[in-house]
Amino acid sequence: MYLTLENITKVFPPRGGATEVTAVKNVNLEINKGELVTLLGPSGCGKTTTLRMIAGFEFPTSGEIVLDGKQINQLPPHKRDMSMVFQSYAIFPHLTVFENIAYGLNVQKLPKDQIKRRVDKALDLVHLEGYGSRAPNQLSGGQQQRVALARALVMEPKVLLMDEPLSNLDAKLREEMRMEIRRIQQELNITSVYVTHDQIEAMTLSDKIVIMNNGIIEQTGTPVEIYRYPSSRFVANFIGRANFVPGVVEERTATGFAINALGKVLQVQKARHDFTPGQPVTLIIRPEIVQVQQNGGGYEGTIKRAVYLGNLVEYEVDVSGQVISGVETDPTHMEVLPAGSKVSVRFPEALIQAIPMEGANA
Amino acid sequence: MSTLETSSPGRTFSGLRRRVREFSLISRDPVLFLSLLIAGIIIFLFVVLPIYRTVSGGFFDKEGVWDLKYFARYFDNYYGPNLRRAFYDTMTMGLLTAVFGTVVGFIFAYATVRCSPPGKKIIHWLALLPTVSPPFALALSLILLFGRNGLITKKLLGIQFVQGMNDIYGMDGLVLVQTITFFSVAYLILRAMLERLNPAMEEAAASLGASRIHIFRTVTLPLLIPGIAGSFLLLFVESLADLGNPLFIAGNKTVLSAQIYLAVIGEYDYQKASALSFVLIIPTLVLFLVQRYYVNRRSYISVTGKPAISQITEKDPFIRWGFNGLTYLICAFVILLYATIVYGSFSFTWGVDFTPTLRHWNLTVTRGVEAILDTTFLSALATPFAALLGMVIAWLVVRKNFSGKEVLDFSSNLGGAVPGTILGIGFIMAFNKPPLALAVAIYALLALFYAQVVGKNAAERLAILILGTLGGVALTRLEAKTMYFALGGLFILLGGLVFVANKKFWPAVVVALVGVYVMSTNWAVQIAKPLSDYTRTMERGFWSNALFQFADYLKTLLQPPPSLVAIALFVVGVMVLNSLRQRGWRIGGGVLGLAVPCALMFTGIPFALVGGAYIIMAAYIVRSLPASVRAGVASLQQIDPSIEEASNSLGADAQYTFRKVTLPLILPALLAGLIFSFTRHMTSLSAIIFLVNAKWRIVTASILSEWEQGGVSIAAAYSTVIIVLVLLAIAVLNLITAKMLRGRGGVDISQTM
Repeated sequence: MYLTLENITKVFPPRGGATEVTAVKNVNLEINKGELVTLLGPSGCGKTTTLRMIAGFEFPTSGEIVLDGKQINQLPPHKRDMSMVFQSYAIFPHLTVFENIAYGLNVQKLPKDQIKRRVDKALDLVHLEGYGSRAPNQLSGGQQQRVALARALVMEPKVLLMDEPLSNLDAKLREEMRMEIRRIQQELNITSVYVTHDQIEAMTLSDKIVIMNNGIIEQTGTPVEIYRYPSSRFVANFIGRANFVPGVVEERTATGFAINALGKVLQVQKARHDFTPGQPVTLIIRPEIVQVQQNGGGYEGTIKRAVYLGNLVEYEVDVSGQVISGVETDPTHMEVLPAGSKVSVRFPEALIQAIPMEGANA
Repeated sequence: MSTLETSSPGRTFSGLRRRVREFSLISRDPVLFLSLLIAGIIIFLFVVLPIYRTVSGGFFDKEGVWDLKYFARYFDNYYGPNLRRAFYDTMTMGLLTAVFGTVVGFIFAYATVRCSPPGKKIIHWLALLPTVSPPFALALSLILLFGRNGLITKKLLGIQFVQGMNDIYGMDGLVLVQTITFFSVAYLILRAMLERLNPAMEEAAASLGASRIHIFRTVTLPLLIPGIAGSFLLLFVESLADLGNPLFIAGNKTVLSAQIYLAVIGEYDYQKASALSFVLIIPTLVLFLVQRYYVNRRSYISVTGKPAISQITEKDPFIRWGFNGLTYLICAFVILLYATIVYGSFSFTWGVDFTPTLRHWNLTVTRGVEAILDTTFLSALATPFAALLGMVIAWLVVRKNFSGKEVLDFSSNLGGAVPGTILGIGFIMAFNKPPLALAVAIYALLALFYAQVVGKNAAERLAILILGTLGGVALTRLEAKTMYFALGGLFILLGGLVFVANKKFWPAVVVALVGVYVMSTNWAVQIAKPLSDYTRTMERGFWSNALFQFADYLKTLLQPPPSLVAIALFVVGVMVLNSLRQRGWRIGGGVLGLAVPCALMFTGIPFALVGGAYIIMAAYIVRSLPASVRAGVASLQQIDPSIEEASNSLGADAQYTFRKVTLPLILPALLAGLIFSFTRHMTSLSAIIFLVNAKWRIVTASILSEWEQGGVSIAAAYSTVIIVLVLLAIAVLNLITAKMLRGRGGVDISQTM
C-alpha cells in the first residue's frame, strides 16, 4: 500500500455555541501507487475533510495516515510530498502563469534553467504552450483550471490531491477536462485522490471509488463493483437510480438465495451479504433492466405514469401495490403506452442485488 | 442537551488536552507562533498594562493604600454637585454629538450614494477632511469666526458681547464642532451599508405595491438600523474621548476628558486623574462593547462584501435636491472653516486688524521648526511599524485558529477606542519606574519559546536556557560602553557561526548587521557630532535648527531603549537559528543568541521609557493600530483562503507564504494602513499630551500651549502646517500606490475608518 488511512476520525471543536462535530468517523482506506481514487458523496459527507487531512491542512483527531511507509499524521502541509488542486483554482492573482507554475520550484530554490525546463514541460502537458507570460485574469475558467493542474503536477508529487476541481466549469468543458485529467494522470502514473460529488465524474475517472456518507465510508470498489453490487440503499440511490423492493429470504440455494418478493420467489445471486432464511431483505432493481411490455408474462401491473424523453421512455408501473420504474430504450418499441394500461413487467433475476433491510434486526 | 455534555469532566479534560496540543502544533511553525507572541507582548505592554494601571490607579493613594476618596466625592455635598454636573455634561455632549453626527453622516451618505450630486468626489473628500486635521482645528476656526472677536460675529454683524450673553463657547459650540469633526465616521459606515444594500429588495417591495415612504420605513430603514446604531455608538465614544475641542470651546462647561487633563497638568494628581478616568472609561467601554458584540452581529448586510452592482437612484427631485442642498450647505461650511484657519494664520491681529502678514509664519518656522520636525519624524518612524503590526494581527485573526484569538482582536482595538488621556496617563504610570518583574516575565516567556524552537530536545533546551541567561546576566556587569561592544561583537560572531553552519549568506549578513547596529549605540554621539557641529557654523535660522534636529534623530535611531531592542533580537534569533542542524552549532549559537538579548533586557531599568521618543511612538502605534487591523481584516476576508493553502501545499511555510502571497495581495490595505496611521499620528493629541517633554515637542501640544498663551494666529499656522503635511503624505502615498498597483485597483482609504 502506498497511502493508507487507518481508523481516521476528525472531530471539530465546538465554535460559537455549537456542539462539536464529528466530520469523519473511523475511515479506513488503502491506495495503491499510480491509482486514482475518488471520494464521492453528498456535501457534508466528510470527503473534503478527509482530503484535507491527507493534505495536512487538518490533523486527524485519532488514527494514522501513512505515506510510503512513513507516518505523516502531524506533518505540516509544506513538508508533505503532495500537491493539491483547489475547487476555486487558487491561482495567485499577482503572478503570471509561468510564475504561478514555478512557485513551488522557487520555494525549493532550484536553478533557473531547470525551473524553466520543468515549467515549459508542464505547460505542454496541459496544452498551454505560449501562455506563460499571461496574467491569470486574462485566462478563461478552463485555462485557469489547467494552470492549477500544471502548478500541482510540476512538483512531481508523491500524491496529487484534487478537491472538486471541475465544479466551477460549465458542462461541456467539464467533460473535456475530465478526459484530460485522466489522460495526464495515466501518462504520469501519478497516485491521485480526487474529491467530487458528481457521480459521472467519479465513474469516468476512477480506478477506485469511495462512497462516503455522514462521515463514514459506505462502500469502496471499482466503478463496476459500485454500480453492479451496491452494498447499501444509499449507494444504490447515489450512483444511478434504483427500485427498492422488500422481500423475505426463503432459503439458501447453491448459487445464492431464494427470495420471496412481489408475490413470487426470485432466485438472487449471492454477492456480498449472507442471509438466513426468514430474514427481511431489500432487493435493488435498476430501472434499465426492467422491461415493460404489453404482453409477455412476468408480473402484472398498471402504468401510473409514462414520460417520453426522446431517446427513452420512462414508466412507473404499479405491481401489486409496489411502484416499479423502468425505462424502455429499444427504439423499435417507442410508442408510448398510456397511463392506466395493463402491462407485464419482467427483469432478469441474475442482475438483482439483495441487501439486508435497513432498520430491521438481522 | 449540549450543556450536559460539555459540563462532564471528560469533555473538559479532552478540551484542555486539545488546547495543549494546539499549542504544540503551532510551535512546529515557529514564525507563526513568534508573530503571535510578539503581537501579544506589544499589545500587553502598550494597551492592556497602561489601561490597567490607569483604571486601578484611582483606587490607591500615593503610598499604595486602598483609598476611595475621589469616588466618594461624587456623593458628597461639597465636590458632588460639580462633579456630577461634569458627568451629566459629558454624557449630554456625547449624546447630542452622536445624534447630530449620525444625521449629518446619513445625509451625506444618502446624497452621495443615491442622489448623484454633481461633484460627488469632492463631497467625499470634504467629508473625510476632518479626519485628517488636528483635533481642535475646527474649534479654533469656529472661535475665529463666531467668537467674541469673531470675523462674522464682531466684524460683519457688529455684535458686542457682554457678560451672560450666549456665545459660541459652551455646549452648543462644542456639539457643533464635534458634529463636524466626527460625522465622517457615520458617513463612511452608512455609505458602505447603502452601497451594499441589494436594490432588488426595494424593487421587490415596490413590485408588491408599497409606496416610496412605506418602502423607506419598512425595508430601507430597518436594513440600515445596525449601521445607524453602530455609528451612533462610535460617535458617542469618539465624543467622550475628545480632549482638544472641549479644552478650546467648552467655555464654563467642564467635561471628563478635560477634568482628567487638568488633574495631571494642573495638580500633578495621578490618583485623581485615574479616578476620573475610571468614571470615563466605564461608559466608553459599555458603548464600545455594545457596538462590537451586539450591533455588529445583528447586521443583515455584510460590509466586507463588494458593493451592489447597480444602485437605486433617487428620482423624486424634491428628495434628491433636498439631500443634495443640505450636503452642499454643510460642505460650504466645512470649506469656510478650513479657509478660516489658513486665513487666521496670515492675519495681523485677529479681531482687530485683519491685514495679511507673514509675521506669524516667521515665528512658526523658527520657533516651531523643532516641534514640526519632531512630530513628523516620530509619526513617520512609527508608521511602518503600526501598519505592519496591523497586518500581522489581521492575518492571525482572520486566518488562524488559536485560543485567545478573540482577546487579541479585542485588545488590539481597545487601544484606539479608549480615550487617549487614559492611555497617556497609563503610559506614564506603567513606564516611569516599571517593576523588574515585568522585564523578567517578558524575558522568561521569550526565552522559553526561543529555547523550544532552537533546541531539539529537553537537555539542549535546558543548556541553552541556563547558559544563555547566565551569560547575559554576566554581561550586564560590564561597564556600559564595553558591554555594547561585547554584545555587538557577539552578534557578529553569531553571524559568522550561522554562515559556517548553514552555508546561507543572507541570514548571516543580517545577524552581523544587527550586531553592528547594537555596537553603534556607542558611536551614536560621534556619528551625529559632525552634523551638529556643522550647524554651529551656519547662520541661525530655519535650516540650522532643522539640521540640528536631524543630528538628534540620528542619535535617537541608534539608541533605542535596550529592552525593546532585546525583543527585536529574539525575533532575529528565532528566525535564523531554528534551522541549525548540527548539535554543537545549535547549542553554541543558541547560547550566544540568548545571552545578548538577555543582557540588553536587563541593562539599566528595563522598560523605563518615560521621557524618551520611543514612548511617544508606542502611543502613536497603539492609537492607529485598530484602523490598520480593520483594513487588513477587510482585505484578507476577500482573499480566498485556498490561495494561501495552495502555497502551503506547494511546499512553502507560513513565513514564505505571508511574504510571497499574502502580503502582495493585501498591499492595498497595507498602503491604506500606512496612510491612515501617519495621519492619525500627526493629528493625535490626547494620548501623547502627557508624554511630550522638553526634548520631544509635538505640534498638537504646541498648538494647545500657543492657544493658552493667546497666540491664536500661531495656533492657526501650526494647524495649517499639519493639514498640509498630512495631505502631502496622502498624495505621495497615493501616487506610489497608483504606480505599484497599476491595473489592480487603487487604495480605498475609507476601508480603514
